[in-house]
Amino acid sequence: MIRILASRLLVSLLLLSTFSIQAQVSFDAKVSKKRLGLNERLRVDFVMNENGDNFNPPSFTGFQVVSGPQQAVSRSWVNGVQSFSKTYTYFLTPKLKGKITLDQAQITINGEVYKTSPIIIEVTEAVEKPNDPNNIDYITDENIKLVAEISNSNPYLNEGISVVYKLYFRNPISISDVQELESPSYGDFWSHLIKIGQVRVNTKGVYKGEPYNEVVWRKVVLYPQKTGKLNIEPLTLNLSLSVPSNRRDLFGRRLLTQGQKTISAGRRVINVKSLPKKNQPAGFTGAVGQFDFDVILDKDALKATESFQTTLKVRGNGNLKLFNLPKINVPNTLEVYEPEHKENVKIKLKGMEGTIEDTYTIVPQYKGKYPIPSIQFSYFDPKAKSYKTVRSQDLLVDVFDGPIAADSQKEITNAPKQIIQTADNTFRFILLNTKLSPIKTASFWNSTLFWSLLTFPVVLLLVVYLLKRFVLERTEDSGSKKQREAQRLARKYLSSAKKAFHDQALFYEALERALHNYLKAKLKIETTELSKDKIERLLIDKKVNQQTALNFVAVIENCERARYAPGSSVSIKGDYEKASSIIASIDRQL
Amino acid sequence: MIFNLFSRRFRSLFVGFIMIHFLTVSAQNSPEKLFKDGNTAYNEGDFTKAVSFYKQTLEMGQHSAPLYFNLGNSYYRLNNVAESIYYFEKAKQLDPDNADIRINSAFAQNMTLDAIEAIPKSQLAQIQQSVFSLFSLATWSRITLLWICLFVVVFIAYLFLKTTEWKRFFFFISLLCLFLFVSSFAISFSINQQQENTQFAILFSNKIDIWSEPNQRGEIQFTLHEGTKIQLLESLDEWNKIRIANGSEGWIKNAEFRSLKD
Repeated sequence: MIRILASRLLVSLLLLSTFSIQAQVSFDAKVSKKRLGLNERLRVDFVMNENGDNFNPPSFTGFQVVSGPQQAVSRSWVNGVQSFSKTYTYFLTPKLKGKITLDQAQITINGEVYKTSPIIIEVTEAVEKPNDPNNIDYITDENIKLVAEISNSNPYLNEGISVVYKLYFRNPISISDVQELESPSYGDFWSHLIKIGQVRVNTKGVYKGEPYNEVVWRKVVLYPQKTGKLNIEPLTLNLSLSVPSNRRDLFGRRLLTQGQKTISAGRRVINVKSLPKKNQPAGFTGAVGQFDFDVILDKDALKATESFQTTLKVRGNGNLKLFNLPKINVPNTLEVYEPEHKENVKIKLKGMEGTIEDTYTIVPQYKGKYPIPSIQFSYFDPKAKSYKTVRSQDLLVDVFDGPIAADSQKEITNAPKQIIQTADNTFRFILLNTKLSPIKTASFWNSTLFWSLLTFPVVLLLVVYLLKRFVLERTEDSGSKKQREAQRLARKYLSSAKKAFHDQALFYEALERALHNYLKAKLKIETTELSKDKIERLLIDKKVNQQTALNFVAVIENCERARYAPGSSVSIKGDYEKASSIIASIDRQL
Repeated sequence: MIFNLFSRRFRSLFVGFIMIHFLTVSAQNSPEKLFKDGNTAYNEGDFTKAVSFYKQTLEMGQHSAPLYFNLGNSYYRLNNVAESIYYFEKAKQLDPDNADIRINSAFAQNMTLDAIEAIPKSQLAQIQQSVFSLFSLATWSRITLLWICLFVVVFIAYLFLKTTEWKRFFFFISLLCLFLFVSSFAISFSINQQQENTQFAILFSNKIDIWSEPNQRGEIQFTLHEGTKIQLLESLDEWNKIRIANGSEGWIKNAEFRSLKD
């Protein structure tokens, strides 16, 4: 029993081995067609049913290898039967017309070299509908386009440009899904994506003159923020496609094959021009576009400490969000708060459009009229390629009630900010009465009249003084004058004697010397050696009163006596006075 | 020859008289009449007309503080900041203490764009200013003359008086007069110096930059607007050096300003 079982197993094993040995090795070359146009492609498959090594493709002379080799291996077991196949696939395009022989390919299978048989391919004229409709790559390349439309590739700095990405496709392709693989970032631009919402297919689109289905995939508005060459990165999409194959279903309709396709577009370089430096207005803050400018007051008459609002408004299209509005310039006594910025800007494909405004709240402190000078707004118009300046009107705010500001001049000397609060400090009415005087008045100061009026009293004084001195005093009582003179002389001579009042001897010595000195000065003679009689005679000769001469001599005698007989009773004071009176009287008589 | 010269001179004088006569006849208006006409126009609200009447009065070589004041008011009503401030300043020069002028001038000052805080004066400068502004220069010169005359009279009296007490008394009085004369002379002199050396003006340029140097290589220091009172210091070609009330100095180019002096 066991033997039988074992023999059966052996037989079956043997059978199996003989079957496998008996299986025929095949190695064939198959071409998709033997006759093709010059513009068509040829697919060549080298198929073997046993795995081999050292595959050696033919040289493909006369053809160009488009793709391949692609290897495909399939192995299957069906009802205990194994089947195997391995395929090398090439896609070729012919280079020339005529009959081209596809050479043999070689492979080594189980140690034996197998060769395919050569195939003759006939290449004809180019055909109208080339190619293999099964090739998805070819179909998609032909029928799907992604395009980036740039409105202006040479804009000015801050001039808006738009980029629109459009996907074109046509039959027989239908797109089932789109994924964005790579979104461009616009580094040196201020960018805004315009929302598209639902993707709609425009079936009447045209691309290069041919009808296509058109899908606007993305719209972007860009404002270049730098000059020079700026790169826009590409947009890359992954498409899920349905492409009809040449297989047909039961009803003869073509079956669709699914495929993936990656497509990208829009790597572009934008050359941004800088704004011209020439004629650039002073207050230019970078606005580019077409604008209107206005300054609006919400009220122009109000009370002090109420508020009013001034709105600086720019309307138009251009880079509205990208520049600052000019500043307001108002009189110093108005209190101005920081402005409130408002934007109402719509961004469309042709750029930003709308209004921006700065609203200043202003509170006047004092009564009066306040001019709001015209404000100047400059922008660059890229269409006209020139700068334009818009001026607002001069506006005036009338504050009709409230305190008035004090005169600034008074403020300095008094306390700071002295404000007169009384109600009657309105703007004063004109003065109705006047006394007109000539404008050109010669200055009295420094005039000839002034100087003459100044010198006249001085001259007068001098004249009066001189008159008094030389005219009046001569006619005056000369006696009294001479007396004064004599007294002065006596005092002069007797001054040394007067100093010696305390010492009798010294006094008389000085007195005597003084008397002799006096005579010496008056009579021009030396009298110290003269006798008293001689002096007396001399004096009398000079017409001096005899009594006076005697007195003079008496005083000299007195002096001598006092000197030579000290202790004798003499009166220092009496002698001094006597001497001075004698000198005075002699002087008068001489 | 001499006769000829004389006759020519007489003739020109005569022609001159006739001319003046004709002018007055053709204008048919005295300055006072023009002033009154201006007032009427102002009251009717025709400020442009009022300005032209007042200007005519000025052109006739006549002025007064009320005239300048009314001109300032008219320009204020016409919203002309710089002109208004200019004439108010002129009015203040002639009549510094008039309250009406000060108040309306403050109104006009409100309209200017620049807020300039004046540097406070020292106590001494204030006293000096108050003494100087007691009288006008002409009055000060008259006071100077008065003191010199008094001095002379008193000194002569001293010369002729006999009594020692009276003599002493008059001598002291004369010394006092001399001192007062010297000081009033000095005050008049410095007022005159001040008037000649300081020249104020009102800026008429809408907006002007103040440079650190009289060339464009310097820096812009600040910006002034019309109606600001400036003091003119020096000038070089089209540049003027100015000082403003807060003490800042700088150069302005091709500025429009009107001096307050003439």
